[in-house]
Amino acid sequence: MHRFLRITVLLTGLFAAFSIYAAESQQSVPMTEDSLGPLVEQPIEFPHNRHAGDADKGGMQINCMYCHTYARRSAVAGIPPLQKCIGCHQSIESVRETPRIKKLFEYWEAKKAVPWKKVHDLPDFVRFNHERHIKRFIEQQNRPFQEVCGYCHGNVKEMTVARRSKGLTMGWCASCHQKDHTVVAEGGTPIGTQAYWYTFYKPEVEDASAGVLKAKGPNDCWRCHK
Amino acid sequence: MSISNLLENWSKFRHTHPVDDKPHDPYKWAMSIDLDACSGCNACSVACYAENNLPVVGKEKYAHGQVMHWMRIEHYWDEDVGEEGGREFPDQGAQFLPMMCQQCEAAPCETVCPVGATNHTEDGLNSQIYNRCIGSRYCSANCPYKVRYFNWFNYPTTDNVWPAEMVQQLNPDVTVRGKGVMEKCTFCVQRLRAAEVTAKSEGRLVHDGEVQTACQQACPTSAISFGNLVDQESRVHRQWRAQQVELDKDKQAKDDHEEPSELRGYRILENMRPYPSVMYLERVRESAI
Amino acid sequence: MMDSGFDRRDFLKVMGWSGAAVALSGCGNTSIEDGKETLVSYVEAVDYQIPGVGVYYNSSCAQCDAGCSINGKVREGRVLKLEGNPASAINRGKMCGLGQAGVQHHYNPDRLREPLLRNGGSGETITWEKAYALISEKLKGVSGEEIAFLSGVVSGHLKVLLGNYLSSLGSKNHFVYEALAPGVVRAANKKAYGVEMPRYNISKAKVVLSFGADFLGAWVSPVHFSQQYAQFRKGVDGQRGVLIQVEPKMTLTGANADRWVPIRPGTEGILALGIINALGIATGDIAAAVKGYDKARVSKETGVPPGHIDKIAAILKLRSPSLVLAGGAAEGYAHGSQNAAAINLLNHVLGNVGKTVEASAAVPFPQMAPAKGNTAALKSLNDGLAEGKYKVLFNYAANPVFTAPGAMKFKDNMAKAGFKVAFAHYMDETALQADLVLPLESALEDWGTQVPEYMAEGAQINILQPLMENVHPNTRSIGDILLALLKQSRAEEYKNYEDFYAYLRSALVQNKAALGGHAMDEDAFWNETLTKGIIKLVGTTAALSGKAGISGLKLPAPAEIDEQYPLQLIPSVNISLRDGRHTNQPWLQESPDPLTTIVWDSWMEIHPKKAAELGIVEGDIVEITSRIGSIKTQAYLFPGIHPDAISVPIGQGHEAMGRYAKGYGVNPLKIMDAVFDRETGELAMHETRVKVSKTGQRVIVVKDESAAGAKQIREKIAGRVYTDNVDLTKEV
Repeated sequence: MHRFLRITVLLTGLFAAFSIYAAESQQSVPMTEDSLGPLVEQPIEFPHNRHAGDADKGGMQINCMYCHTYARRSAVAGIPPLQKCIGCHQSIESVRETPRIKKLFEYWEAKKAVPWKKVHDLPDFVRFNHERHIKRFIEQQNRPFQEVCGYCHGNVKEMTVARRSKGLTMGWCASCHQKDHTVVAEGGTPIGTQAYWYTFYKPEVEDASAGVLKAKGPNDCWRCHK
Repeated sequence: MSISNLLENWSKFRHTHPVDDKPHDPYKWAMSIDLDACSGCNACSVACYAENNLPVVGKEKYAHGQVMHWMRIEHYWDEDVGEEGGREFPDQGAQFLPMMCQQCEAAPCETVCPVGATNHTEDGLNSQIYNRCIGSRYCSANCPYKVRYFNWFNYPTTDNVWPAEMVQQLNPDVTVRGKGVMEKCTFCVQRLRAAEVTAKSEGRLVHDGEVQTACQQACPTSAISFGNLVDQESRVHRQWRAQQVELDKDKQAKDDHEEPSELRGYRILENMRPYPSVMYLERVRESAI
Repeated sequence: MMDSGFDRRDFLKVMGWSGAAVALSGCGNTSIEDGKETLVSYVEAVDYQIPGVGVYYNSSCAQCDAGCSINGKVREGRVLKLEGNPASAINRGKMCGLGQAGVQHHYNPDRLREPLLRNGGSGETITWEKAYALISEKLKGVSGEEIAFLSGVVSGHLKVLLGNYLSSLGSKNHFVYEALAPGVVRAANKKAYGVEMPRYNISKAKVVLSFGADFLGAWVSPVHFSQQYAQFRKGVDGQRGVLIQVEPKMTLTGANADRWVPIRPGTEGILALGIINALGIATGDIAAAVKGYDKARVSKETGVPPGHIDKIAAILKLRSPSLVLAGGAAEGYAHGSQNAAAINLLNHVLGNVGKTVEASAAVPFPQMAPAKGNTAALKSLNDGLAEGKYKVLFNYAANPVFTAPGAMKFKDNMAKAGFKVAFAHYMDETALQADLVLPLESALEDWGTQVPEYMAEGAQINILQPLMENVHPNTRSIGDILLALLKQSRAEEYKNYEDFYAYLRSALVQNKAALGGHAMDEDAFWNETLTKGIIKLVGTTAALSGKAGISGLKLPAPAEIDEQYPLQLIPSVNISLRDGRHTNQPWLQESPDPLTTIVWDSWMEIHPKKAAELGIVEGDIVEITSRIGSIKTQAYLFPGIHPDAISVPIGQGHEAMGRYAKGYGVNPLKIMDAVFDRETGELAMHETRVKVSKTGQRVIVVKDESAAGAKQIREKIAGRVYTDNVDLTKEV
């Protein structure tokens, strides 16, 4: 009986130690180069650098939200409608005869949607909300678009076809919610004093008398899992 | 969440009493169901199938008890009818009772999950995380209401539950569950989250009536009300208060009265202390006929 | 709402295209897989169309004829869920299970996709042009009298168009057949109140005495009545409504009654007169006529204990206004009209007419009023077919081969028509007998207008509009088909209408002044109409006339029990399957019957006492034999049925239609006698007598309920109190 218990304790201990190690090591994965997504072949090789890049590098400095307009209004960012591409390109004669634009107009004339491939693909059981992140970082904290979008999408303005450069794993998401971005309950957002009692992290009370409460971003499982 | 975190916060994670000195704030989702209004028509159950991508399992699997109705209508007949020596006919029909996950505050299912796939959320829901679930079915065994349903099969592929165009009906806000995971009523968490996000972006709380569960929305007799129990003005709060039903008690005012009282609010199997979030109102029948 | 230059059809097309690819997301993908899924964007988008956010369109439910308004949730070009439209006075944002299953009709894998020219057992796919040409060819030299058009209930502009088509053919033979129509009650109401369907104000009544009207389940407008019922239970002037249900087989409404009163089948009228007698408030010839119906006699004939009659009379006398309803179980006899008349008389005696029985409104366009279906129409069509009178038969929205009583031999008679065209969604039993089968759009793809028979408040015209692009590109709208057929002979007259949409739009826009849009320009009116999905009108109200008359009311004594066929067959109406047109929708198959909780099958309800007599236990496969034939199904012991009757639900037993319908259960109508109500000629649904014998086989009944638990537990779980203490009007 004793021996059985000893073995059980030993095995449990080993399992726990391994799990903690595995969990910790998993969290560091997203930071390495290995997390770069595959190069995805798109029906039209869309040059993000040309559209969004800096002026000194030949870019047009177009705001991400100009095309990805749904991101601030919906959970999903969506892909701009073809109409949007044509809206500009029908009056840009200089590139009209280039192969990519010709292909674009072929789709338009056939009234067919471009079958883009999904680059940032979260598993289907994840509920990620673009709108909330944009509201918080861009509208409330006034940070620059490209920085905020770049938290998850990387430096798209220097890419042609977008490529995933962040891990997008759960550990990677939690790494922000846990460490970097605290949610502050002052002004604006209505966070009750006890809002985070049910989460894993204790709210940090900064100045109890002033009612300022710091807590981590939402992190109960059902916030992000569906 | 890493395992180290989980271990670190074990006691918080495994709390058993709902609201000791730390009440829910700003949300606590709760329901009340008026059994007097419920006609047992099953519209709520169909609404749930439509909203939550529930598979239709077919006759054979139904016979094996593998039906996946998160919302079901239970029947309770008077016992002595039709039996030898009993009355020939029932005076009244069955008592219908819509039964779904009661979103217990101290949920028996949560404490037995070996992997922490079901746990409590800050707004008082009993969450079920499909990709964490390993299918031990302990939770179902421990559920006093038997409202947890297990995916014995891979319904979308091997069973072809949604053939051809039927797949287009699936709600993209709800995961289609694969084989080997447990599932249950979520209080339409996808609708709650959408409403919470909208409210948060507008710098306010979710209004009463802004979010409805699918069953509530369909119910032809409006027997179901749903809302935020923390909000003093919400219909569900007023109903709970009027019936003197309290979330953190295991015996309600109605039970304290020796004589029949005006109150008819109760929660099912309260004495087991799961502290469910669903209040039922007793059916009323005329005594003069 | 929408840019007027932007045609809605085109818009839907674009959306639909993208929908197809998006559809697959949401299942299966459980890890990060870049570059695997295709992300199809809109070609053109409008402002309110945001990926990931649902857009709601108002339309109307076509699953039954109640005329509820729906609010369809559309995401990325595909309809996901049907919800009720809160603006409708009929359903006020609520939906029954049947209505919600409309999406499963729409996406059904067994829907017809191409026009089929049938040749015996096989079919050949043809083009629409060829199909139209074929119809034109077959109609050549055929006189109007030799053409018959059978349909379910039609109303609105479709009815107008159908009428025009028939007149272009010189035919008056439009048969409107509804298998479960309250035909007898309509006629009795016409006599008693002057209107076929008055407005029953359940929420104003303090007592509702219903003779077999399953208004919470499947009768007339169940979602509307359910809401009224909820109000009625909360009470009027502090008094909670009391529901008494009299019927031989417990329905869903019976199961919700404060007192369920089992009665010998067919004696409802006798009880009604007995109650009038017990009330003692009638005067004149009524009092004289009911004099003979004393308690002892009534009790003996109906099987209702004298104490019950006293109690019912007492509560009716004490609490006013009340409401008395005559429904399916009372009308299904050769003397159904008499039963219904006796029951309606109760409303007169109690002074309910004008209080809870109210005048109803009608749309001011009589040509759009619904063509009400009944079973007398089926009989006359069937007789005509048997005589070989019809050379060409059209069929739309009816499935008589499945629903006609076996004794009518409809299938054989139908074969006598030379050329049969079926407009159908599924290859159902009737379509299988047709020569040409034309596939229809679902109600979620089609344009149309609907005028409900039962109006809740004022009058209304419901709009049907496409919620998404056609799932099957080669299906067509019934309106488009009729228009195309009309153009075969009246091309000039209809040349301005490219399709049914154009016809509908112009018809409504032309009348915009009468439809509440006099201040708007045409586009604004049209857009508003589509946005709302309902046109609400004051309507014309016909005052209730009808007098309390008893002359000519003769109730036969209860029928003697037939030695050879001792039991009465009650083909019951299941709230989700109704007449069987929706059996192929799997949610409905898996939705348990509210009383027995049986799924995916038929059953025979039998009283435990009778079952013991016959040695039957639950799950025994029994053979039910009538003069016409026999069926075999499982037995279910149910105390909520009169021992002299058995009941088998309608809707199962399909031999065709699709994977979820075919081969499940049996069809009780197959063994039904063709007996008709003497006055109206309506089919008497409850007049079939049967005998039941065991076959020796036994199965486990597939149902949701399990063995009953201890009584103590039951009281803890499903609480019940009596009214002495409770005042619901005070509650939140």
